[in-house]
Amino acid sequence: MTENDFNRRDFLKVLGWGGTAVALSGCGNTSIQNGKEIITSFVTPPDYVIPSVANYFNTTCAQCSAGCDIMGRVREGRVLKAEGNPHSPINYGKMCGLGQAGVQNHYNPDRVTKPMLAGKEVTWDQALAAINDKLGGVKGEQVAFLTGDISGHPRVLLDNYLEALGSKNHFSYEAASPAVLRAANKKAYGVEMPRYRIDKARVVVSFGADFLGAWITPVHFAQMYARFRKGTRPEGRGVLVQFEPKMTLTGANADRWVGIRPGTEGVMALGLINALGAYGLHIPSDIAAAVKEYTPERVSLDTGVPFEQINKVAKILKERSPSLILAGDAAEGYAHGLQNALAIAMLNQVLGNIGKTVEAPASVPFPQLAPAVGNRASLVAFNKGLADGKYKVVFTYGANPVYSAPAALKFQDNFRKADFKVAFAHYMDETAQAADLVLPLASAMEDWATVVPEYTAVPEGGNSETYVHMSFRQPMMEKLYPDTRGIGDMLLALLKQRQPDTYKGFDDFYSYLHGAILKNKVALGSKASDDDDVFWNATVSKGIVPLSGHANKVSGKLTAADLKLPPTTGADIAYPLRLIPTVSASIRDGRNANEPWLQESPDPLTTVVWDSWVEINPKTAAKLGIKEGDIIEITSRSGSIKTQAYLFPGIHPDAIAVPVGYGHQGMGRYANSIGANVYSMLDPVFDDKTGDLAFNETNVKIAQSGERVILVKDEGAAGGSQAHMRIAVQWPVDRVDYSKEV
Amino acid sequence: MRHILRLFILLVGMFTAVGCYAADKAPALTTPDQLGPEIQQPIEFPHFRHAGDAKDGGMQINCMYCHTYARRSMVSGIPPVQKCIGCHQSIPEVRDHPRIKKLFAYWDAKKAIPWKKVNDIPDFVRFNHERHIQRFYFQLDRPYQEVCGYCHGDVKKLVVDRREKPLTMGWCRSCHMKDHPISKASDKIGHGPNDCFTCHK
Repeated sequence: MTENDFNRRDFLKVLGWGGTAVALSGCGNTSIQNGKEIITSFVTPPDYVIPSVANYFNTTCAQCSAGCDIMGRVREGRVLKAEGNPHSPINYGKMCGLGQAGVQNHYNPDRVTKPMLAGKEVTWDQALAAINDKLGGVKGEQVAFLTGDISGHPRVLLDNYLEALGSKNHFSYEAASPAVLRAANKKAYGVEMPRYRIDKARVVVSFGADFLGAWITPVHFAQMYARFRKGTRPEGRGVLVQFEPKMTLTGANADRWVGIRPGTEGVMALGLINALGAYGLHIPSDIAAAVKEYTPERVSLDTGVPFEQINKVAKILKERSPSLILAGDAAEGYAHGLQNALAIAMLNQVLGNIGKTVEAPASVPFPQLAPAVGNRASLVAFNKGLADGKYKVVFTYGANPVYSAPAALKFQDNFRKADFKVAFAHYMDETAQAADLVLPLASAMEDWATVVPEYTAVPEGGNSETYVHMSFRQPMMEKLYPDTRGIGDMLLALLKQRQPDTYKGFDDFYSYLHGAILKNKVALGSKASDDDDVFWNATVSKGIVPLSGHANKVSGKLTAADLKLPPTTGADIAYPLRLIPTVSASIRDGRNANEPWLQESPDPLTTVVWDSWVEINPKTAAKLGIKEGDIIEITSRSGSIKTQAYLFPGIHPDAIAVPVGYGHQGMGRYANSIGANVYSMLDPVFDDKTGDLAFNETNVKIAQSGERVILVKDEGAAGGSQAHMRIAVQWPVDRVDYSKEV
Repeated sequence: MRHILRLFILLVGMFTAVGCYAADKAPALTTPDQLGPEIQQPIEFPHFRHAGDAKDGGMQINCMYCHTYARRSMVSGIPPVQKCIGCHQSIPEVRDHPRIKKLFAYWDAKKAIPWKKVNDIPDFVRFNHERHIQRFYFQLDRPYQEVCGYCHGDVKKLVVDRREKPLTMGWCRSCHMKDHPISKASDKIGHGPNDCFTCHK
């Protein structure tokens, strides 16, 4: 210790004591501002409002298409937080992280606040006049409307508007949607979206259905899963087996996770049918003949799964009934996606699950309110129309095709071919930037709407054959920006241009909705003699309107002829790895990327935050000399991206996975240039039957770019080895060459 | 050895300096009355006229007639403009008074009156009006002027309100350590909570 110098330890001591002294004496009145702060009172106090006491309003979540019923906490006219509505048969009072971030969607600093024509702020009158002007010279079929999932009364107005224009061009596009599954279900069971009773099943075998993370209606499935896992259930605790090439959150929760070679899910399903026959399950002779060639040995060779495992799963399925077999994103994202999904549906048929764990949902009694569900085939169709120059005026709402269309489709160029592009936009996202007119949307917390979810669940005591419901979305506070408008209001304003006489009685969308609901109040469960206001207030405050729908039937409709699978192909020599674009539980398809809570909430499996990453199997990585944090260039035939490597044993050695939703250009301060956009490099391969873009059909090669970063993640540097499993090849920090850091 | 001495002197010096500064700034803890600054309000609201005793020309209106949220909320609430107008539209005698003219100007413009905050406490303190009013006014049946006056002093004698009590933690505690019966019907004696988290949460 040197004599005169103040060493580090003393310095810290002084700092500590000094800090304590300041803290002790300074517990003062630093934030007191007598006579400076202004307290504003109401001019006229609203009913039921007491300052500092919260009110709760029921509404419907708009963060994804699941349609969870939620309850917003509102204090002094500001919405503070949302939680689930306990009376909802979908989410049972629960809510996911994506839903929680809804307030950040609402209060987002990057929202579009004014109508913009050719990049300049204009008034609403000018904006609407511009639309009217452009529509003047075009025929009905030259107008097209691209939306995301849309249902309820906004859909009614949209259909009316297109009808008024004489256009049939409504394209409902969702970048991440179970479109192939719908087609397979329709063929196999007779309904597009049956109710999957996970809670009733004794065994669930899921082929890449991430029902706890991002599949169809995850909060509902998580509730069902909790019941399925209860040992106190009469059927006992359920067993979950997950076949998928990339481990999802659901796979991580499974009793047995089986890494399967990408694209061979159908082979596995047929192999299981064959093995079930061998265990003595009755299988119709034509089907038995069709699956005869799928012996455990051959299936094992194709799928890379040891045949003992196949037999084990077959045995458990034979012994425990009812079971439930699910086909998810990982199984359907191929050119033969529909065949995969049909093979998997056949498993449900031979196991006798149809009608037991695969239930028929009722259809909405008002078909015009039913959801127009999105898929990727409609993007392809819309793109083709644009490329052919068929559309002069196009509208986009709730979809961001310029961002999420693969570069190979040349969507951006085709979009430019339309003379006048109108984007109903919440953010200045890629599509809004490419549009001529941008119309600012009110947030879902400022707007009226009705929502009919695609996947309907039945509450306790509900009639499972006829129950469906419609949910209300109501404003929880005044608009933050007075120049924003809800989609209903905008459509109504556009309809008034076309059919002023029909719509002149409606001042705004609220009056339209109010009138439409009251007109049908008997059908909505009220007596004709009931007071209108009482009925309306009760309906809106409950937020959920049960409807008596039309009963449907499910039955096993598949025959041996439906079980045709293409031969399993070997590896592509030039592009040896299969790219799996994953839909994460929080960022999803990327529309919510500008909500910082979602960027900072770690991915459940890799714990990476604020960036995209590529998951590589440690074996593959070792072969290529890749270490965690290496910047990897991923190249497909259609494009390339660069992102950081994460070594992950939960992925098949022949595959790599990159989450979608990152890599925005623009949109907002939290999304702009964060990560890489994996949509851009997808090969234009389509499902043979449905025409849906096949998500998992892109073959890639990877190479180190020579750059290296320290991966920002929540788990410690040791990664998976903390769980006494040596997962990642570790690279001591002092051996990192910082000169190559980016 | 020398460096320890040096460190000691440095520490004592710093502590004293910071302490002196803080002592100079912080209000004394247990002074019974300590007036806050005089505050210019947009309208000179005469508390004595509304709440004062009859002998002083007041109308003895209950504080909670205007500060209506005090009994059911954390905050007492500044009366809405509508509340003022509700009475004053039927008192034509005072319509010409400059204050009343100002009041009606706000009402006609449908604008809130930008009152300045008089009784402020730091943002890390949660004071709850409801609890105090419920206990002392409704359960112990003490006169409202006394109950409100515990913290707000004799507002009924003032024109524009002014902070009259220190509103510091020590001052709050000086009351919270005193015993009082917990309700009129019971002989049980208790005192206010003295846990940190009651106010700091």
